[in-house]
Amino acid sequence: MNSGSRIGRRKALGSAGALLLAVGLAACSSPSDSSSGSGSGGSGGGGEGLPDTVTLMAINGLTGPVAFAGTNAQKGYDLAVEQVEADGLLGDTTIEIEYKDSAASAQEAASFASQAITDQKYTAILGPSASAQSTAISPLVDQAGIPTVYVQSGSEGVVTGDYTFRLTPPAASYFDIAGDYVEAQGVKTASVLFNSGNPTLVQLGQDSVPALAEDHGFEVVSTAGVEATQQDFTTPTSQIAGDDPDAAFLMVQGPQYPVAITQLRQAGYDGVLVGMSAAGAGNLSSAGEDAAGFVWPTNFTADQEGESSQAFVDAYREKYGEDPNNYAAEAYDAVWFIARGLAEADSADRTALQEGLAAVAADGFSGAQGDITFDGNDARVPGVLVQWDGSREVPLSTDGS
Amino acid sequence: MAQDVLNALTLGSLYLLFALGMSLAWGTIGILNFAHGSILMFSAFSAYLVVREVALSMPVLLLIGAAVGAVLSLLVQVLAFEPIQRRAKDHRQAELQILVGGIGIAIIPLAIAQHITSSVPFGYSGGTFRVDTYDLGFVRISNVQIVTLVAAFGLAAAIGWWLKAARPGLALRGIGVDPEVSSLMGVDRRRLALLTMAVAGALAGLAGVLLTYYLGSIAPETGDAFLLKAFAAIILGGVGSIAGVVLGAVILAGIETFVLVTTSGTWAPAIAFGVIFLMLLVRPNGLLGRQEVRRT
Repeated sequence: MNSGSRIGRRKALGSAGALLLAVGLAACSSPSDSSSGSGSGGSGGGGEGLPDTVTLMAINGLTGPVAFAGTNAQKGYDLAVEQVEADGLLGDTTIEIEYKDSAASAQEAASFASQAITDQKYTAILGPSASAQSTAISPLVDQAGIPTVYVQSGSEGVVTGDYTFRLTPPAASYFDIAGDYVEAQGVKTASVLFNSGNPTLVQLGQDSVPALAEDHGFEVVSTAGVEATQQDFTTPTSQIAGDDPDAAFLMVQGPQYPVAITQLRQAGYDGVLVGMSAAGAGNLSSAGEDAAGFVWPTNFTADQEGESSQAFVDAYREKYGEDPNNYAAEAYDAVWFIARGLAEADSADRTALQEGLAAVAADGFSGAQGDITFDGNDARVPGVLVQWDGSREVPLSTDGS
Repeated sequence: MAQDVLNALTLGSLYLLFALGMSLAWGTIGILNFAHGSILMFSAFSAYLVVREVALSMPVLLLIGAAVGAVLSLLVQVLAFEPIQRRAKDHRQAELQILVGGIGIAIIPLAIAQHITSSVPFGYSGGTFRVDTYDLGFVRISNVQIVTLVAAFGLAAAIGWWLKAARPGLALRGIGVDPEVSSLMGVDRRRLALLTMAVAGALAGLAGVLLTYYLGSIAPETGDAFLLKAFAAIILGGVGSIAGVVLGAVILAGIETFVLVTTSGTWAPAIAFGVIFLMLLVRPNGLLGRQEVRRT
């Protein structure tokens, strides 16, 4: 037994070591009224060619590490379905969404997508928030020809063909508004800290900020990457504090923001802090006053101006008793996008819907995120600059007022 | 330079705090508990739920964290690991089933915390403790940094002493060498296993609360992120050796800090784990693993 115990432990140690190395070495007013393009004012509106019910499959992580995005998206979807029905955009046709929880599994997401592809009752798919899941789905849905509308999923390989659309604009597409702000603050030097495990954050840290620097007359004096699951920022924040630039750009994941900001302030840094949209959705609450003054460009904030945005916010507050975040806003726009596509196509046929969605995308529309246009099948919005005031995010003009 | 050394020691102390309980259970009663990260997180989360309602001091939150960690760890032992040990055909099968079982169990508290927080980070801003930073000229250090350093290395010294000098500690080391003979010598294996798991859980709870204070906030997934690093520290130092865990944690943190300071940082984990791989090629049982096994 003794030797067995030792051998067992040695083997367990060996297995554990192999596992360790493998991992270590190896991510109100109706929205249709405010349409600037198609929609109820377009060729649809009667729904004569539509069935009584159009069924969509929503694949998203309702549990697991991206549950914060999935559960908020679900609220946006549900609100939009109610409004589409009340609006009469599709006549007597109702939209029904079946929710599938893909948790953190790309395999689960692909399996659900395959189910939606083979079952003709599904007209379209509302795709996952996580890029890893979406990139697993896109080749399947494009090949099978079922329209799929994503939110979040910011990486390459998600919008790959005619049948894949994305309602979350890439952060880099509206990041320029941060440049106007730092220029107004008189920033001449900046440091960049980015999460090296996330393609969107890498792009922002290595490409977008240097481009911003060139356009707005400041110099990037240091750039540092941290690993995807970095928890302690003591060393990188000490380095930034030592360099003492006028501004620090933090391109990290949502839960990393309060830690990075708090440790940066504790390291003695008191310059301008700029982030990206992942800082929203309540992630700065635990940092409280330490994060006061932190600024980031985002595609949506509850207090942004615009009739269609405020109509969404009012309806959301009435239904859920809370402020919506960007995940809910994007999901809301995704369902309205599909509803407009159905109205345009006047058919629940998948090919007809794809053509209807393409027509809506060509014209653009006004939604929760403001005036939405498309670059191909990928949404674009003007973006809004927000600031954490110590307890909540508030819109900020690019001159800092 | 002095700041970098302090930063490396602080990071090492975080890894050490996490790894101590895990190493204690693995090196004595042979339980590699992969739910340790989840216990750490949930203990810190429980303290957060309390401090959200009542403003409490750091010592009180540490007690809450330790108590919750001990209870959770005992529950895991009684409800999951003991039945596995009873039913397994041999010791090796039990070890592997415990390893997989721990991974499964870890999902439960994680899912609960994720559901309640929506995966948004939580901290102790509602408590009475406030972070102060002292600029000593050559180095900048905070009060919570001092507490973390003292707690990590102090606890490691206390556990090392307990295993060497106290009767339960000696009995535990006896179990680590030969459980059957230890039983014949009158050692109550079940009682000691429960005591070990309770201590390991309490250490996880303490680590969770201290970690939350030091980082300002943690997310439900934080425990998982530290699990890999703590595991690496244990393997590098040598299973069963408290001194080895201290050494492993400090070396791992030192390499990571060095890479972060001297490069753009992107390669920190790859280089750190590459160095560990090379070290294990030379010393497969870890830096102090062999000496400890022979001595016991």
